[in-house]
Amino acid sequence: MNETPQAGVLLSMRLSVRYGDRPDVLRDVQVNIRRGEVLGLVGQSGSGKSTLAMAVLGLLDRKQASAEGSIVCEGRDLLRLREKEFRALRGRKLALVLQSPLSALNPALKIRTQLKEAWRAHASGTPADCNNAVRLALESVTLPSTDDFLRKYPSQMSVGQAQRVLIAMAVMHRPALLIADEATSALDIITQAEILTLFRQLNRSTGMAILYISHDLASVGGICDRIAILHQGQIVELGTTEQVLTTPQHEYTRRLMAAMPKIPQPQISPQEKTEAAAAK
Amino acid sequence: MRSWHGRVWRRVASIVLLLVVGVSLSANWLAPEGYARQYREAASAPPSRQHWLGTDEIGRDRLARVLYGTRISLLLAPAAALLSTLMAALIGGLAGYLGGAWARVAMAVTDLFLSLPWLFLLITVRAMMPLNVSPMISVLVTFLLLGLLGWTTASRVLCATAGSLRNADFVQQARASGVPDARLFWVHVVPNLKPVLYAQFWISIPAFILSEANLGILGLGVTEPTPSWGSLLRELEGVISIGEEPWKFVPLVLLVIVVTSFQLVLSDQEQVAA
Amino acid sequence: MRPPEKVGRMKFVKAVALSIFVASLAAFAAAQSGGELRFCLRSEPKTFDPLKVEDDASVAIRYLTGGVLVRMNRQTQVLEPELAQSWKVSKDGKQITFKLRSGISFSDGTPFSAEDVAYTVQQLMDPNLHSPTGDAFRSGPGNVETKIISPTQISITFPAPVAGLDRQFDQVAILSAHSPKKEMAVLGPFMVADYQPGSTVLLKRNPNYWKRDAQGRQLPYLDSIRLDIQPNRDVELLRFKRGEIDLINSLDSEYFDKLGAASPQLVHDAGPSLDSEQMWFDQVSKAPIASYKKTWFRSPAFRRAISQAINRDDLSRIVFRGHAQPAIGPVSSANKFWFNAKLKPQTYSPDSALKALQSEGFRLENGTLKDKDGNAVEFSLITNAGNKYRERMAAMIQDDLQKIGVRVNVVTLDFPSLIERMTQTFDYEAILLGLTNVGLDPNEQMNVWLSSSENHQWNPQEKAPETAWEAEIDQLMRAQASSADPRKRKEAFDQVQEIVVEQAPFIYLVNRNALSAVAASVHGASPVILAPQTYWNIESLSVH
Repeated sequence: MNETPQAGVLLSMRLSVRYGDRPDVLRDVQVNIRRGEVLGLVGQSGSGKSTLAMAVLGLLDRKQASAEGSIVCEGRDLLRLREKEFRALRGRKLALVLQSPLSALNPALKIRTQLKEAWRAHASGTPADCNNAVRLALESVTLPSTDDFLRKYPSQMSVGQAQRVLIAMAVMHRPALLIADEATSALDIITQAEILTLFRQLNRSTGMAILYISHDLASVGGICDRIAILHQGQIVELGTTEQVLTTPQHEYTRRLMAAMPKIPQPQISPQEKTEAAAAK
Repeated sequence: MRSWHGRVWRRVASIVLLLVVGVSLSANWLAPEGYARQYREAASAPPSRQHWLGTDEIGRDRLARVLYGTRISLLLAPAAALLSTLMAALIGGLAGYLGGAWARVAMAVTDLFLSLPWLFLLITVRAMMPLNVSPMISVLVTFLLLGLLGWTTASRVLCATAGSLRNADFVQQARASGVPDARLFWVHVVPNLKPVLYAQFWISIPAFILSEANLGILGLGVTEPTPSWGSLLRELEGVISIGEEPWKFVPLVLLVIVVTSFQLVLSDQEQVAA
Repeated sequence: MRPPEKVGRMKFVKAVALSIFVASLAAFAAAQSGGELRFCLRSEPKTFDPLKVEDDASVAIRYLTGGVLVRMNRQTQVLEPELAQSWKVSKDGKQITFKLRSGISFSDGTPFSAEDVAYTVQQLMDPNLHSPTGDAFRSGPGNVETKIISPTQISITFPAPVAGLDRQFDQVAILSAHSPKKEMAVLGPFMVADYQPGSTVLLKRNPNYWKRDAQGRQLPYLDSIRLDIQPNRDVELLRFKRGEIDLINSLDSEYFDKLGAASPQLVHDAGPSLDSEQMWFDQVSKAPIASYKKTWFRSPAFRRAISQAINRDDLSRIVFRGHAQPAIGPVSSANKFWFNAKLKPQTYSPDSALKALQSEGFRLENGTLKDKDGNAVEFSLITNAGNKYRERMAAMIQDDLQKIGVRVNVVTLDFPSLIERMTQTFDYEAILLGLTNVGLDPNEQMNVWLSSSENHQWNPQEKAPETAWEAEIDQLMRAQASSADPRKRKEAFDQVQEIVVEQAPFIYLVNRNALSAVAASVHGASPVILAPQTYWNIESLSVH
């Protein structure tokens, strides 16, 4: 299970997290995320997936959670960063897309305001610069950047549009790592497929790595280069998508496979994968 | 979006408000003799051509007093309401958003404020104030005091609301975008408190106008000869029936109309915010 | 009537029927002449013990139930005999001798004699009882001596002369030395029959009351009096309108006009009362106010000018709707004997006020009066919050003084804060207040006029009189107090009044009229200016 640090590694973690006196949520989890790869993190609810995501973003509640180990990214241990330094990374180097787009967008703010806020967090410039950035971000997720659209409140959009807005916000500053926490679980199957395709395209065109967190092995299989299986706070299996899906080593992985619904999934052809690899 | 009825009412209310504001601003022109002139030969007079709303107990033209009083109350009551609303947002909202010890301390302070014997406190404040204060300063102090004290109830509600927003997905999402904490609070949390803030604001205006009247009884309100809605409403003390002197009720009717209009005009924005 | 079944019993039945008839006839007559009088007490009576009385409600009950040796006639303002047939005050003012009526009993039947008077006086002067009524008699250290000369004669000797000694006995209700019912055994026209705290006090006629009317009928005519405890004056007025109560003792001028507009025969304006409304400047040397202001306030010319610039006629006419008289001086013209009739009404003249001020170095600049150092003349006038008459007076004074360039800041304070400033911190510039005068005699105002007194409001507790005129007042007040000759006393007090008007330490504004309301069903009422205005002649009132 152990991986040795190697070149091309974006982020290397060795992490245990505990809430109060309760047993560890994550127990000595060791994962490397390589530049430009899409790493799937699969596990059932409560396995510690979201905790891992929050730990990487430094958003664990510091009063309640205690994290041990290290998360090394570009030579710096994120766990030892001060809040101010961490804030400079969030949204710029590390970005997050949450599960439910409708609750992840602020219901009281117009789309334009939210995008501008995301831009302003790490950039300064004229309103024109800002508008330009917003337009580019929206185009990258194939959304219109018309005034009409920008004036909308989240409640006036479809779920798929909302999710794209969220992704646009996340990729605005071209992060090195995008963490998608159950980012497609709340979507219907068609929208899910569209969003997955979008992720893959963004991965290819910008070269950002994606940590794709899901409970759904099937959707993960369609997009990821590698898959890690998280079970009761530990990584029980880690390998290329092919390895994991075809020759699962761990008992738990086999159970997950067995539970996979047998419905057609948008498969990404091996050819596309090689193209993605070439992009790196 | 809004029903046809709603729009008409909103328009009517805005016209009424503009009219009231406009008329009160033109008080100098409509009542050139001012609010303090005592027509001693016509004290407690009923409406006449010279005094459209009659005169008060010491012969001051009631219309002039209503006009100038409207100007004062209509300017200062909303200002005080704004102040108390901002304080509620800052204290209650911030405490709720920060959570934990902050929230506990803020709510303890709020409870303390709620449980203070205000009557005695205000009397003490009055006792400490210098005696030679011009009527204008007394007006300002009164409303400032109301604004500084009126935030407690709303603060509790805001604390609870903001507390529930603290871990909302969209706040987490914004935080993950690297939005700094202060901005997170003002730009992302406060707009979601708008319904409570609006309610606080609109409830405060009539409440403050009436409080000012009550403070006058304690010797704390607006002082002679300056008129305010509060002092005009105090004229109604001891009036046994409307039938006898209906013109005395003009200030009360005006208060009701203005407060209602305010609510109608802003109910629209409130719903968008909600 | 029942049929005569048995002849043998007829006579008996007749006799019984007749006696019942006679009894009911008597009762009918009594009912016609008596009835129940109802009115409101404005607060809960604190005590039924006449010696401990302090509050107005208890004073009212004492007046209705207590028997006194002498009584000041509220109409003629002359002292009249009651339980004492006659009395004599010694020349030195220390001793009084009473000749008592005989054959009188307390309400419970206990006979009345000189012993009861001696007992009452001893109780009254007992330092442990702290009787507020007794305080008026405490003129010097030492014990009071009572000497029973005979069952109907008693002399009482005080250690020092007591001012207006005989008048003071108007307040002393005689207690029984022997009755087991203690203070509930009374000599007055009524006795307390029932008391529901917070609600009512029911008085019943005293069956043993000694007084009879001209026709020889026992007084009082009324069978009972129901006193409802009702602090709210609006409710009192409403209940009067509904016919639930029969009297209102002191009416507000606004209510007077309202009630009078509907039924003018019910309201009575008895003319100016002893009560006055007045304002004064802070002359306390250690007062925490600007020294240049102190200089104004201590200048008689400044005070006179302010007084002259106030339009008293307008205050009476507008604030009190004509139910007040412009005040002339410290004594109301209603005080028939003591008022100094030589004093002229205060003239209103802003012009001469301004001239007087200018000759003192003040000058008017762009409508603002400035003193010779260039300080704008501005002062705060405080009054108690919630009293609309005073607030209106203050607003009118503000307007009047504006005409001579003086700026007045009206401040209304709650009563305790006002009193604190007035008596403790002296942190005020001018005060507008009313003074309730109960007594007619100048001796009752000693505490106001003596410069050493606490109630010498404009500058209390002076170690030595700070001005010549205050020294003169001190001397005159002491002279009148130590004299038993009414003429000499009057002369001295007349002079005091002249000095006060001249120096204007108090600027007297108006004397409010005594306003009352009496229901049409009440007979024999003739309201006066002295309390109790409507029922001072309670014995001869009846309701039908």
